[in-house]
Amino acid sequence: MAARGVQQLKQVTSQHEGFLRHAGFRWLKIALTVSLLAIVIYAFDDVRPRPNGGSAYGYFLGTVGLLLILWLTMLGVRKRAMTRGRWSLKSWTSAHVYLGLALIVIGTLHTGFQFGWNVHTLAYVLMMLVILSGIYGITAYAALPRALSNNRGETTQTQMLDNLRMIDRQLHDAAQPLDHRHAEMVRMSLDDDPFGGGAWARLTGRYPRCGTRRAQAAVRAETGPNPAIGDDPLEKIDVLLERKEANLARMRQHLRLKALLEVWLYVHVPLTFALIAALFAHVFAVFFYWG
Amino acid sequence: MSFIVRQISRTADGREIIRPRTFDQPELSIGRNTGCDIHLPDLAVTLNHATIRQTGPSRAEIVAVAGLPFDVDGRSTERADLDAQRGANIRIGAHVIAVSRDAEADAIVLTVERVGAVSDASEVIDEDRAFSLGSALPGKRVMAWSFIGLVLAVFLAWPLWSFYTNSQAADPTGPRPIAFHADEMWSTGKLSQAHAQLENDCKACHVQPGVAVRDSSCVACHDTLHDHADPARLAAARFEPGAGGKAQLAFKSAFNVPEGRCVDCHTEHEGATAMPVTEQKFCSDCHADLKARLTDTAILNASDFGTDHPQFRPAVRTSAMPPVVQRLSLDARPIEDNGLKFPHNVHLSTTNGVARMAQTMQVEFGFGKSLACADCHVPDPSGTRFRPITMEQNCQMCHSLAFDKIEGTVRTLRHGDPKQVVADLRAFYRSTGPVQPINLGGNARRRPGDFAAQATSARFSFASATRYGRADPAIRATFSEGGVCFECHKVVAPSQSGTGTFGIVPVKLPDRYMRKGWFDHAAHQTETCVSCHAAPTSASAGDLLLPKIESCRTCHGGETAHKEVKSSCAMCHDFHRDDAAPLMVRDSRERGKRVDNGRALKAIRRQDG
Repeated sequence: MAARGVQQLKQVTSQHEGFLRHAGFRWLKIALTVSLLAIVIYAFDDVRPRPNGGSAYGYFLGTVGLLLILWLTMLGVRKRAMTRGRWSLKSWTSAHVYLGLALIVIGTLHTGFQFGWNVHTLAYVLMMLVILSGIYGITAYAALPRALSNNRGETTQTQMLDNLRMIDRQLHDAAQPLDHRHAEMVRMSLDDDPFGGGAWARLTGRYPRCGTRRAQAAVRAETGPNPAIGDDPLEKIDVLLERKEANLARMRQHLRLKALLEVWLYVHVPLTFALIAALFAHVFAVFFYWG
Repeated sequence: MSFIVRQISRTADGREIIRPRTFDQPELSIGRNTGCDIHLPDLAVTLNHATIRQTGPSRAEIVAVAGLPFDVDGRSTERADLDAQRGANIRIGAHVIAVSRDAEADAIVLTVERVGAVSDASEVIDEDRAFSLGSALPGKRVMAWSFIGLVLAVFLAWPLWSFYTNSQAADPTGPRPIAFHADEMWSTGKLSQAHAQLENDCKACHVQPGVAVRDSSCVACHDTLHDHADPARLAAARFEPGAGGKAQLAFKSAFNVPEGRCVDCHTEHEGATAMPVTEQKFCSDCHADLKARLTDTAILNASDFGTDHPQFRPAVRTSAMPPVVQRLSLDARPIEDNGLKFPHNVHLSTTNGVARMAQTMQVEFGFGKSLACADCHVPDPSGTRFRPITMEQNCQMCHSLAFDKIEGTVRTLRHGDPKQVVADLRAFYRSTGPVQPINLGGNARRRPGDFAAQATSARFSFASATRYGRADPAIRATFSEGGVCFECHKVVAPSQSGTGTFGIVPVKLPDRYMRKGWFDHAAHQTETCVSCHAAPTSASAGDLLLPKIESCRTCHGGETAHKEVKSSCAMCHDFHRDDAAPLMVRDSRERGKRVDNGRALKAIRRQDG
């Protein structure tokens, strides 16, 4: 029994191999070989007067690059079906990452280092942006979950929101005896959407128009000159706002880390389709004004 | 006259709890104050917000107290009449008060319920979505479709539209207006400088969509260019491509790209530079073993200047009279006959009479201590070759044709016109013989009484026989060995019968020996003349003073040679051969590689003494 237990444990540890290390870096090796081969052929291919995408090797690289891009895009379809084995999703993802990186070499050599303000360079730039966003995505996946978990502590998202709601309720109750003007101050905090602020605020974690902070500033302006005698309901409000702000800060950091974790896909996916459209225009233009 | 107020609240699991309360009073106060009849624990509600007063069995009136409005059936107001029979909804802050009538109790029923959450955060939300960045950005799918639409519209539809509007123009073949045209975004790179003006006129070359550029587009402007050779012979001479080449040709034909187009060599869209020079391999592919395929050709095989190029074969005049010009290899040591007698060694000597004479003329003609090459050989304006040598410009200052002086004016013999020379000499000696008397009538029949005429005839015959002039010997001397003409020229003597006069074999100095190639003297100003031309040791005008290919190869090698000057075929030969310099030479001149002619020449002259 014990032996079987150890065996099971071993299996479990071996299954924890990520897509980057998949199958002993098989796809990294393949991608490196392909890139190196492409560079060597490029170096020995004597295209006159200067290398360009219209040479025989240029067309070859272009065709390979185009097919590779279409295949890489298919990960979006493939990922919806998780399977195991040789052609497992993990294997696909591993190939996607490393062959996608090899595309930097293939695509750049296809340009023959000739760039300009045209549809051809547009396709190249879009391709590079997609690849760079992918590289960012991998680094984000490697680094951010730890930060996310550190920030969260033991609380879950739901708990974070529940805490906030609880403070809001307390604020609401504590503010009941207040006159209208003071009640309006508290409402600045209550009516502020913790998920608002837009994408930029999410990514930077900066909320310059934060309702809670404004509410607290207003309350403190009110209570500041008065001595703290302990029976002013505004003082309790102040304490509650303080607590809310601390909670908000943690939640906003959480939102920021999550946004940084997710944002690359909002570049990677839409730009991939922009790239495919640009590639279509690129190939169309080449055959339309056929050299 | 009563109100029933039903306060609805909900338990945590959403169950409704209704607390009804009856008021037997005509007026109810509404507010956040706990003392109000209808207490709304809502911060958006003032402490005393409004009062509601019954005005009839099923009618009531609501009036704001603190001057803050409320909504009645969605309309913001500070006073409203309510018909409980018809019903109404009053919204104050996050609370809704539904007005209705309970006929049995004969009371107006006010159902109070909180509809809004305590705070924004307390509202029921899709938590996963709220925490995800997706809630703050447009969807990936929306963005993807928008980008596809944008890219296709700007980079596909717009250029296509620009192409078709150009096709529909009044004169589709004419030049396109200078402006931005969207199909320029399809250009793969700047055109060469020569074609810069076609930059925005794609159709100038890309005439039909999907059809590769044809030579007809080039010929439309370049109408004076001729073929490299007869197209049939050119086709026969073309090299057999290797496996890779065949595959390329197969691809090309599959994509409707014909073989051997102008653009195969003259590639475009390679940047705004001079059009690239044709590579050596474009020549050597066919010319390396041309004779194997084109067996009757006079052209010798060549593939590389440094390693595989035949000896120079200049066009040499081997006979001045009758004129014969032949292309002969320098290896065969051909002897030129240009009609002139000219020993270079005598003229370039630094110690003989020529040098002494040059010294006496230093001031007047700018000679040095002896003659130098440049004293006679003056570059033409291009610097490529030299101005023709003429008697008047280059010889006459020493080789004078003067024969008389009258009151300070020197009379010279007319160069280039032997008959005039003879006439002038005769005139000089005034020795044209006795004038025939007028009464000597030739072959008239003799009649009695002609004695006087007979006597005249006898005297004339005697005079003719005895009084010959001194001109004839002088003329003979001029044209014979030791004479001024004979010194430099080949003389054609009069026939034995004594008729006719002296003649001169015409002199023909070639301005160019190698008409199949290009040699630019200006480009070689770093060299001295004698480093190539062995003039100082040449004793005969028959010596062909051209350097052999071995001499050139000390500096020049093939395109890839490790020599001082890498020289592809295009440096001396042009594919479309004409009288102008090859493209490569013209290119290098444009780039300012050429040195200043005059200054360099002066330097050479100084060097030569």
